[in-house]
Amino acid sequence: MSTVNATAAPAARTSVRSRGQTTSLGTKLITALTVVVAAIWFFPLYWAIVTSLKTDEETVRAGLRLLPEEPTLKGYLFVIQNSDLPIWYMNSVITSVIITIVSVLMSAGAGYAISQLKFPGRQILWTLILASFMVPVSALIVNHFIIIAGVKLLNTHLGIILPMLITPVTVIVYKQFFDSVPREYREAAVIDNANEFQMLFRIFLPMNWGVTTALAIITFIGAWNSFLWPFLAAQNEKMMTVTVGITAVQDSYGVAFARVLAGAVLAGLPVALAYLLFQKRVTQAITLSAGIKG
Amino acid sequence: MADIRLVDVSKAYGNVRVIDNVTMTIGSGEFWVFLGPSGCGKSTLLRMIAGLEDINDGEIHIGDRRVDQLPPAERGVAMVFQNYALYPHMTVRQNMAFGLQNIRTPKDEIERRVDSAAKILELGHLIDRRPSQLSGGQRQRVAIGRAIVRDPKAFLFDEPLSNLDAGLRVRTRIEFAQLHQRMKTTMVFVTHDQTEAMTLADKIVVMNNRKIEQIGSPMEIYTRPASRFVAAFVGSPSMNFLPVKAVADKAGKALVTLGDGSVVETAIPTANLPKGGTFTFGIRPEFVRIEANGAIKGKADVVERLGDRTLAYVRLGDGSTVIASDTGISSLDTGHEIALGVDGASAHLFDDNNVAYSAA
Ligand SMILES: Nc1ncnc2c1ncn2[C@@H]1O[C@H](COP(=O)(O)OP(=O)(O)OP(=O)(O)O)[C@@H](O)[C@H]1O
Ligand SMILES: [Mg+2]
Repeated sequence: MSTVNATAAPAARTSVRSRGQTTSLGTKLITALTVVVAAIWFFPLYWAIVTSLKTDEETVRAGLRLLPEEPTLKGYLFVIQNSDLPIWYMNSVITSVIITIVSVLMSAGAGYAISQLKFPGRQILWTLILASFMVPVSALIVNHFIIIAGVKLLNTHLGIILPMLITPVTVIVYKQFFDSVPREYREAAVIDNANEFQMLFRIFLPMNWGVTTALAIITFIGAWNSFLWPFLAAQNEKMMTVTVGITAVQDSYGVAFARVLAGAVLAGLPVALAYLLFQKRVTQAITLSAGIKG
Repeated sequence: MADIRLVDVSKAYGNVRVIDNVTMTIGSGEFWVFLGPSGCGKSTLLRMIAGLEDINDGEIHIGDRRVDQLPPAERGVAMVFQNYALYPHMTVRQNMAFGLQNIRTPKDEIERRVDSAAKILELGHLIDRRPSQLSGGQRQRVAIGRAIVRDPKAFLFDEPLSNLDAGLRVRTRIEFAQLHQRMKTTMVFVTHDQTEAMTLADKIVVMNNRKIEQIGSPMEIYTRPASRFVAAFVGSPSMNFLPVKAVADKAGKALVTLGDGSVVETAIPTANLPKGGTFTFGIRPEFVRIEANGAIKGKADVVERLGDRTLAYVRLGDGSTVIASDTGISSLDTGHEIALGVDGASAHLFDDNNVAYSAA
């Protein structure tokens, strides 16, 4: 936030000086537009939260009510007590945390190897990683399903986790970060007798934990929010993740909007928290990976 | 402490040769400086000794071990980089301890060595800071500290002073000299600054364009340059070069005639000179004095007052220019007609291949 202000303010000042009223009007218009767009984005979220706090009867009453008349947590209590939501939550936590840790570790290792080590096939490997990054996950999902079914890992945590460990973007971000480290650091560490593991874990990664935190957060958010693969891999209700499970809630409750939306709000909660707590890091992560995509 | 021997060492990047058949022996405990213009290969040579670059040909020995195939850590040398390369996430103490931890040095031994290095370099109060919280000079001392704790057989420095401002550079230069006196370890120091080279070195290696031009003590390099390149590179302002004709006098010394017809007696034996008689005459500005009864006449184009001396860019009768010197407090001014006296005993001659000839 502060950085946005810091850069916008001088820009606005100079433009006011050079072109007077017109630009400041333009700036106001753009600000207004941004607010409108933000409101449009925010409204469904707001509506979901409000609705989740209403009684069932109120949710179906005609007319637009922006605040619940008698706020209640019944919807929440219901999904927590009468559905498998706690189990789905556990499943999501387990799979997302493991995916985050393993994929960040593997990507750091892979990125390090491609960036810093000389070995035959390095260029080919790099090209393959770049290429795999171009292929959307949905194009591979059938293959994943056949393979995971073949090794009898459907309806297991491992089955959900394995295909989601393929995260070329994190490898690419790490490789570029390691590329940008001046070679003297590596050389100093070589003279200091560091082996490759020490080089990675005691020099390169700690040099900028920001990169790792940022990547861990977006990996976690991505894993938590993922739907398509967990939906296919976990057909057993006890193995579902939250995102998959709440669609089940929707199906089995009929028209009970408060419950459905209470489930949705709970499902989105960790991600919302992650965004709020690590706002800066998330922005950084998006810039890091956008720099690659763009 | 150990000597470093290079035998016919060569290096190429792809097809581009950057070091050609270099041979030298750096004596144990000596302070050697590699001096040369940018791109001449001094860093490459230093990095080859450190093991950070492979060599294509030749041998490198440190002490009684051949090291050219050994990894850097096993060569027993420590290196200080131009940008220091301090690990940014570690404190001063951790920076110095890292290398020792990697070879599983006992904790109390690490502690002892770090404290002792910190004391030598007066880093005690900074020991828990990070590099970003240090000034350039302090960072530089930490980099040296990181080298000292390893108790290396030789120190390698790649332009360690070039990131410091002028005043600090002079002070740190003196600290380097003191450090060497105290540690008495072999040191190799790369720079393109001739003052650093002249003040610090036991031996200077002047390099140019992949090759060694000359190895010698600072005064040898200054008074008896082996080539025109060395003569021009060392000394400020640079040596004067004038085309001349040379003949032998009765004593077998070269008698040279400048472009304006004036004759200078030198102390250079003609026996060694190649035939032909045309040479480039070299004389440092401090040996061209402004004298009322001097034999060479000219006009002062530019006068530079440096305080301790005055330099005059003098145009001679034939249009060539020489830099001459006068006392600090001088009445000399631009446009003055003046006479110059040349100290022929300190002159040099250079042949067509830029090989230098000096007084015996
Ligand atoms: N990795 C490399 N690949 C190709 N050429 C290189 C490489 N490293 C250095 N060179 C070339 O080798 C030559 C010597 O480089 P070196 O760094 O040793 O010069 P230097 O004398 O240290 O110069 P400076 O004073 O600028 O540091 C230069 O011409 C440089 O372009
Ligand atoms: Mg260099």
